[in-house]
Amino acid sequence: MLERLLRAVASRWFRVVLVVLIALSVQTTLFSEIRPFGFAIQLIAIFVAVVGSTHDVQTGALVGLVSGFMYDAVLATPLGISALVLGALGAIAALLMQPFREPTWWLRVVVVSVVAAFGEILMPIVKSVVGLSGWLDVRILGAAAVTFVGALVVSSALIPVSRWTLQERVGRGD
Amino acid sequence: MARTRTTLTRAIILLALAAVFFITLDLSGSSSTTSIRRAFSTIFAPVEGVARVVTRPVSNAWKAIRNYDDVIDENDRLKEQVALQEGAAVAAAASVRLSQELLALNGLPTLAGINSVTAQVIGDTPTNFSQTVEINQGANSGIKVGMPVLNAAGLIGKVTEVFADRALVMLISDPDYALSVKVVTKSSRTPVTLPPLPTEDAPTVDSVLETTDTSSTSSTSSTTTTILGFTPGTTTIPPEVVAGAGGGSNITVPVASQLAVRETGILEGRGPGTRPIVRFLDASTRGSAIEVGAPIVSAGGSRSLAPPDIVIGVVSRVVERLGTAGPVLEIDLVADLSSLSFLRVLLYQPITETGK
Repeated sequence: MLERLLRAVASRWFRVVLVVLIALSVQTTLFSEIRPFGFAIQLIAIFVAVVGSTHDVQTGALVGLVSGFMYDAVLATPLGISALVLGALGAIAALLMQPFREPTWWLRVVVVSVVAAFGEILMPIVKSVVGLSGWLDVRILGAAAVTFVGALVVSSALIPVSRWTLQERVGRGD
Repeated sequence: MARTRTTLTRAIILLALAAVFFITLDLSGSSSTTSIRRAFSTIFAPVEGVARVVTRPVSNAWKAIRNYDDVIDENDRLKEQVALQEGAAVAAAASVRLSQELLALNGLPTLAGINSVTAQVIGDTPTNFSQTVEINQGANSGIKVGMPVLNAAGLIGKVTEVFADRALVMLISDPDYALSVKVVTKSSRTPVTLPPLPTEDAPTVDSVLETTDTSSTSSTSSTTTTILGFTPGTTTIPPEVVAGAGGGSNITVPVASQLAVRETGILEGRGPGTRPIVRFLDASTRGSAIEVGAPIVSAGGSRSLAPPDIVIGVVSRVVERLGTAGPVLEIDLVADLSSLSFLRVLLYQPITETGK
């Protein structure tokens, strides 16, 4: 029992939850106050896009869904909306990287930035679909642009974090 | 490897279905998702607290770089404004006190009778698609979901999520926010000046309130009034103010239509940087009857989200619409939502929010 618990705690999915928790705390403190042109840079969306770009579709989608649920639990929006959006972002980032066998670092950064910015457009669309209208206006282009630039700056630093978080540790005798 | 992929796919499908399920549950007004948020908040609050301490120097440096010139300008402007308003504030405070005494005397609800909790804003919304702020008081201070929140200027929003020692406040500018309000506007009709009349020819209260025609007469100074929307009662006019009763000089009688007219409507937020609007419940409301600058206050009522007469803003533009649709008003809020610091949560939970 204890061994299974320790194995679960040592798993990469537990690391994902811890890393997202830290990213979320930075999002709700630092990035909610640093608002270039009045828009918040979406660190969580950038992290999910980075995971998608460095791993496969399933991993990207799953990290997106988990991060989204955690983000929704902090926000006042209906539980599950960010989960669907971020899950889609993780999968899209992975799909966009699939055609490239050995992508350069800057290509990965550009893909992550585009996907994270797309998230700022997808979010109000999903909100409108579930009946929370009022957010779908030209303002979302500003939010997308700020997140795009923010992703260009921070995503290269998040790539090693993403790889460390999701690396499989093979124990002796495995 | 194939087994891991199958497990991952199953987990993704399960989580996606869970997301759809929780969205449905949340939008139908179920309070069961609140317990999930509270449980997560218990884990997240200490981590966020540490992050706040660690990142504060960075955010302070950002604010110092970005806002220094604005702060200097604003400080100069505010000093001038404070000097101008010191006198007006004393007179206003006296008027408010008098108004509250009159309301209390007549058994009408006043804000003075509602307890409140002072809270400080500790965080802005982390997303670009909700207009909320986080405050440092929660359920332990008696705060509940739905309670109205004010700052020194006026209404700024309502509590939407409550945790033990913090709460989330949805701002008035959020597109999901709606509140019944009333627009207080004046009639343009001029008062009627009555010539001196013998006591037996003095106008009845009925004639004064319902029409400007002064031809009807009454032989007594005590009459029964019937005004639409009010409970009939007895109005006694003191003999000395009845036209012609004393010295036979002219008196000015305000007609009922000259009194403040209240139009009731629904205030709706439209997102940051866009003025909230008021739509009228009565589509026959004429836009010409509403002046730019007319105050907007909460309407109150048993099902309203806020008690009556909390100042919200003033009319900045009247948009006439074609056909039978009534006018739409654009509102300048009295509270500056971009720089909130200390807030007051009224411990008034609307009936519609009870149990949340």
